[in-house]
Amino acid sequence: MPDEKQAKSIDPATLEMLAKASEENISTVFDRADKLKACPIGADGSCCKNCAMGPCRVPPPKGKEETPKEKAARVGVCGATAETISARNFCRMIAAGSASHSDHGRRVVEAFKLMAEGKTKDFEIKDEQKLLKLALDMGVPIGERSNMEIALDIAKICEAEFGRQEGELYFIKNAPLKRQEIWRKLGVVPRGIDREVVELMHRTHTGVDQDYRNLMLQGVRAALADGWGGSMIATEIQDVMFGTPTPTLSEINLGVLKEDMVNVIIHGHEPALAEMLAVESENPEMVAYARSKGAAGINLAGMCCTANEILMRHGVPIAGNYLQQELAIITGAVDAMVVDVQCIMQGLLEVSRCFHTRLINTDNRAKITGAEYMPFDELHPKDSARAIIKAAIDNFPNRRDNVRIPHIKQSLIAGFSHETINYLLGGLFRASYRPLNDNIINGRIRGLAGVVGCNNARTTHDSAHVTMIKELLKNDVLVLSTGCAAMAAAKAGLMVPESAAKFCGPGLAEVCETVGIPPVLHLGSCVDNSRILIAATAVVKDGGLGDDISDLPAAGAAPEWMSEKAIAIGQYFVASGVYTVFGTTFPTMGSKEFTNHLFKDMEEMYGGKWDFQPDPVRAAQLMIAHIDKKRKALGIDKARERVLYDMAMRRELEG
Amino acid sequence: MEYKTVKKEAPGRGEVEVLAETYEPGEPEAEAAGRWRQKLENRDEKLKYLKNGERYWYSDDWFGSEKRKNPA
Repeated sequence: MPDEKQAKSIDPATLEMLAKASEENISTVFDRADKLKACPIGADGSCCKNCAMGPCRVPPPKGKEETPKEKAARVGVCGATAETISARNFCRMIAAGSASHSDHGRRVVEAFKLMAEGKTKDFEIKDEQKLLKLALDMGVPIGERSNMEIALDIAKICEAEFGRQEGELYFIKNAPLKRQEIWRKLGVVPRGIDREVVELMHRTHTGVDQDYRNLMLQGVRAALADGWGGSMIATEIQDVMFGTPTPTLSEINLGVLKEDMVNVIIHGHEPALAEMLAVESENPEMVAYARSKGAAGINLAGMCCTANEILMRHGVPIAGNYLQQELAIITGAVDAMVVDVQCIMQGLLEVSRCFHTRLINTDNRAKITGAEYMPFDELHPKDSARAIIKAAIDNFPNRRDNVRIPHIKQSLIAGFSHETINYLLGGLFRASYRPLNDNIINGRIRGLAGVVGCNNARTTHDSAHVTMIKELLKNDVLVLSTGCAAMAAAKAGLMVPESAAKFCGPGLAEVCETVGIPPVLHLGSCVDNSRILIAATAVVKDGGLGDDISDLPAAGAAPEWMSEKAIAIGQYFVASGVYTVFGTTFPTMGSKEFTNHLFKDMEEMYGGKWDFQPDPVRAAQLMIAHIDKKRKALGIDKARERVLYDMAMRRELEG
Repeated sequence: MEYKTVKKEAPGRGEVEVLAETYEPGEPEAEAAGRWRQKLENRDEKLKYLKNGERYWYSDDWFGSEKRKNPA
């Protein structure tokens, strides 16, 4: 991690609110990151605290090569080597990340089942086609059966996927055939989602698996259970219930908050409550109630991945990404911040106490001491949403005079699901990825990059995302993005079609202008990284670019990652055949051997591998070099003369 | 979805009916803007679209670049 003082953000709205925080003496995540130095031993994955004989710290010597004797002595109390400790820590991150995404999926399935059983009337099937697709995936009979009958079968199967003990997850079959073969050969096909997470936690318990290669086989299995299991279930079922995203115009940044309206921010990851809030915020009764309190109306805005979900489906504007959550409250204009699960800072409470903002917990899995708890009732979701909106409206008259909203916002277009990309490129008559593949083959598009992941207070907010993406675009690489990375790109104006001419190389600009798409496609929240897997598989299956994801001129990156979910995502990208570069810091640097396993051996095993490069330009160049390597392997690295074969030439060819 | 057809003269075969344009004229407005799923009106059309538009996964006889192998 660089020692020199870094700028806190490249986003002017963030800087404006940080200045306000400083004037009002309010501590934010940025200040705490300055004051609290990260533990270098923990950051490198060299601290084992899995039993009460430790914590054992086994850092490598600084500034010199380790002697064999020193290496042999660098073990924990139980004798665990630095490699084992590093691998266990890494695997525990995968387990936590996979558990988080999968538990998100489980809750969605529970709501879906309640709907299918008729126990809640507020949810409905908004995308019948996606329901039918899932029925085909899972072998559920369709015939003349009602949507609810089909949905109930699908719900039961999805529920069983979590607790399945043997066999293979259904969605594994969505991957390219060659990829499935690789996984089967290595024995890493997930049997059941929960089972893989539990087994990984077991194996990393003290005194169990002591071989980093063997540990990582299970690490991969748990990560695949996330990407091709829990996350994919979450995405697919959400699409059925809330609609598959289609391109939607909206706005992003703190400037979407409104001084004269009741501002409600929905923050977290799960969209069920947010969907209902989107409906209820437009309910004329609620709007009239807001007016009775002196407000011009109700303004719903999103934060983090819940924001991505309701942006993609309703065009609800986004107030900001992970590091802006406290800053939204610091505007003084947020009447209620409604939080569910994941990426919610406990620091929100202290900040909200400096203003009139009501911080409302809605999920029994995630409470903040001192915050209000208004549980989301899945049987009566509209009632829950109405109660929350009413609480926000009631709080509007309590606003103080320290309101200052930065007048900074940016237009964006989001909603590029796999289905939409397929439709956009071929229409209803012949939906297809063919134009994309053709333009990759002819070199207008050099390759594809998935730039995803969080913000991290240890680096300049949004800087690495935007710098990396601009470097990729300049080199004709089409970027797919999700999560906080997508929001960073959107704030920088990279998610509108007109940005293609400004930021892209000539080939990519031409394609984007022809199709009418932005050069950075917003694919959704972090569970929606499963959409990137499906899009990559669709490219493979359309032909001409090899027969596996690892053959594609494609790469992945999370330049500002911070959460354990990012490690799970990175690992399922790698195990799916994608070269994946992380920035900021890498949690295995304390063990050269284990890091080599991730950075080198994995390429031989899976075709994809990990890499680490904190400089976003150099990281982008590594991705481009990988893309070029794959183009060369495919024989599409240089323009070839087109020859029209006559019959004689064909006969010669056949002979 | 109803596809439009037009009648044209074919050499040696007289008048034949062929598929007309499959695009929609003009720009979609309001609710229709960007929303295409509702264009498929019934379950048969939706299943047909899956077999065509998502043919590499759901067609019975076409597995795209992988057709030489067993279906997934």
